Amino acid sequence: MTQDARKKGWYRRLFAVRGMGQIITVFFGLIALCIAFYLANPNFLSQRNVANLLRQIAPYLIIGIGQGYVLITGNIDLSIGSVIGMSTMISATMMTRGMDPWMVSLITLLPCLSIGLLNGFLVATCKLPPFIGTLGTMTIARGVAQLVNGNMNTDAIGTASETWRNFFYYGKSLGVYNTFWLALVIWFCFNYLLSRTRTGRHIYAVGSNVEASKLSGVNVAKTIRSAYLVSAFCAGVVGLITCAQAGMGSMDAGTGYELYAVAASVIGGISTLGGQGILLGEIVGASVWGAMYNGLSIMGAPVAWRNIVVGIIVVLSVLTDVVFRSGALNRARIRAAFGKKISTP
Amino acid sequence: MEQAAGAGENIYMVEMQGISKAFPGVQALDKVDFKLRPGQVMALLGENGAGKSTLMKILSGVYQRDEGRMQVFGKDVELNLTPRKAQALGIAIIHQELNMCRHLSVAENIFLGREILLKGGRLDNKAMNQQAAEVLQSLNIDLDSTSIVGTLPMFMQQMVEIAKALSSNARLIIMDEPTSSLTSREIHELFAIVRKLREQGRGIVYISHRLEELEHIVDHVTILRDGQFVAAMPWKDTSLPEIISYMVGRDIKEKFPRVACEVGKTVLEVRQLNAGRLVRDISLQARAGEIVGIAGLVGAGRTETLRAIFGAAPKESGQVFLDGKELKIHKPMDAISQGLVLVPEDRKHDGLCVKLSVRSNIELPNLDILSSKAGQVNVKKVSKASAQAISDLNIRLPADTVDAASLSGGNQQKVVVAKWLVRNSRMVMFDEPTRGIDVAAKVEIYHLMNRLKQQGIGVICVSSELQEILGISDRIIVMCDGRVTGEMMRVDATQEKIMALATQFEKKIDAISA
Repeated sequence: MTQDARKKGWYRRLFAVRGMGQIITVFFGLIALCIAFYLANPNFLSQRNVANLLRQIAPYLIIGIGQGYVLITGNIDLSIGSVIGMSTMISATMMTRGMDPWMVSLITLLPCLSIGLLNGFLVATCKLPPFIGTLGTMTIARGVAQLVNGNMNTDAIGTASETWRNFFYYGKSLGVYNTFWLALVIWFCFNYLLSRTRTGRHIYAVGSNVEASKLSGVNVAKTIRSAYLVSAFCAGVVGLITCAQAGMGSMDAGTGYELYAVAASVIGGISTLGGQGILLGEIVGASVWGAMYNGLSIMGAPVAWRNIVVGIIVVLSVLTDVVFRSGALNRARIRAAFGKKISTP
Repeated sequence: MEQAAGAGENIYMVEMQGISKAFPGVQALDKVDFKLRPGQVMALLGENGAGKSTLMKILSGVYQRDEGRMQVFGKDVELNLTPRKAQALGIAIIHQELNMCRHLSVAENIFLGREILLKGGRLDNKAMNQQAAEVLQSLNIDLDSTSIVGTLPMFMQQMVEIAKALSSNARLIIMDEPTSSLTSREIHELFAIVRKLREQGRGIVYISHRLEELEHIVDHVTILRDGQFVAAMPWKDTSLPEIISYMVGRDIKEKFPRVACEVGKTVLEVRQLNAGRLVRDISLQARAGEIVGIAGLVGAGRTETLRAIFGAAPKESGQVFLDGKELKIHKPMDAISQGLVLVPEDRKHDGLCVKLSVRSNIELPNLDILSSKAGQVNVKKVSKASAQAISDLNIRLPADTVDAASLSGGNQQKVVVAKWLVRNSRMVMFDEPTRGIDVAAKVEIYHLMNRLKQQGIGVICVSSELQEILGISDRIIVMCDGRVTGEMMRVDATQEKIMALATQFEKKIDAISA
């Protein structure tokens, strides 16, 4: 049966990949969105703006990967934004004191990863609800971000870091900004980890059915911990990108990013209910997100409106996720609430 | 390979002796013996709460025994058995609610926790898919090992669980109610597989309430009652009536207070109620001056029926009449405001807000009558109503401001009833009202039900304890698999009759069997 399926052409093989259906649908949506923005303002697809757009997508993609890992285990990481802020502040502070930027980058990742470890400990070992546990670490990490430079944003990180800033933000390779390449490399590594290794398999299993995983001998706590570690690592890298972009450390960097990451994931077909979705979805999800932001700003929409539109998209995408995936019972409830029938895809 | 390690013909695969297990408040198992030989299909029988599942959970390492000796394949098993270790010993359990990762494929589920890896830590999906396909083939199951488990029908999911057990080389397979959601053809296929496993010398423990299907596969039966070992014998030496009499026992141990009452007008009438698989075409009546008992096994749809009547679960069709007037019930508040109330099965979860005070619990469903039109709660009325209900029901507590959680089970149950008495309800439906409370408190609950009966309030009581049903009801309705299978007056009822009706499943098995 499997052999036959393989022979039936590329499109069948493509659709045979789990979760591909939604990704392809959203991909067409993305194309439509781009055409709409292009019609509204042809500059949207100018060479310059496309390069910018790809660079804008990159941080969303990276945090989306991290949040995606956590969501697939059936949990959520609210500390992402604060870890970004912490990473930015720690790296910028050290660089203003004249330390080597590359060394600084490595050192910065350590406190970020420890937030990840702490999240894993609270959620997996202490069995705190992930919403509460990571809400706590979110506040803690933001506090650390404020503490490192005495509750002040840092000064400019100086000329010594020129190459470093080019690596993370301003430089291009093969005509595309490095930030995008960096995101792509991270994506390839973590996609491999998720789809080809035992840890990845266990991440899906835990998100799908904790009890069955436990009875099959999966180390549930360790699996959840590793997902939070990935998330913290991704947030740490985005913090470095933010620092490179601004050339200084800002204490509120990354505010709200944890929700952007949820949005990118859910748009790309990673369910907030766990066990479902593939990382390819993050690329599409983050692209939709980036295109939305970029397109609206090119059209000259005020920031306030951008926020409202983007907020509506988050709510709608999570709502459809919950309606379509959580089974008949929940659907009946939502149906009762709306007083009409909602059909399944 | 399938034979018990280094064993002769006569050695037992599993030998459990004097197994005891207590949970807070209950002795779930009391010195139970259980033995199984290789190549044997053993039916483990007993009423709800007889201890079957507990015994099997001890065998598969989910629970630890308090005392007793346990040997598996001739080796003593220590007290620290875990599910992992039990698996390593070759024991697999197939749960009633299947325990699978719905989003993963067949092969991924079969190899979960035992993934095959290539060099460098990559998953060897090819090998896993192939080996999974081989196991499925050996069971004669036509199933693509890359299909997603959640999309498969129940039967196929069950087959995947069996394949998972076989691929981990399980020699003892425990099946808990495996046929409860299968069609007749699937049951035949399942039995064919069970016979095959038996031929391979594996041991099977088969837990089922469907007594009529046992003859097709069972070699031996073990019967438990109230956590105690009752009998074990070869299938051919016994008969269904004998098994049923062993299951129910003969003596009624508890006293049930009764009051004679003249039966009056119909209070509640339900006509052709349908609500999902477990409530199918239910019609019933409850009259003033009688207690209607609803008997049946766990999963017969009794709770679901009450919840559908009460509006706590959606109805598909059917009518509900109270005192001859049809009620339109869409949500519980509709039923409550008309005087139809439910005392739910799980009082800590559904019956009470245990962290709130007793008084708050009593006022909660009655706030409409205890507050002013503008919505201000009338504290005087509340305290009067609460005091009245507490003294009426003889609830023992220091003050009505203590948390409901601090009361004993019996008193908690009374608080649940008190909620409904404040508003002069016409019809009270009890779901397992005496579960988990001690004997003295049970008798008080029975008195309470009798009092409602005397006041002309309709009373329905669902109970899984046959003796309780026989002891308190005036009329008994028996349900099985979502249908009413029988109704009788108490004077005509016997435990055997009820048990026979409660296991009267729709004929799924015909004569084709081998």
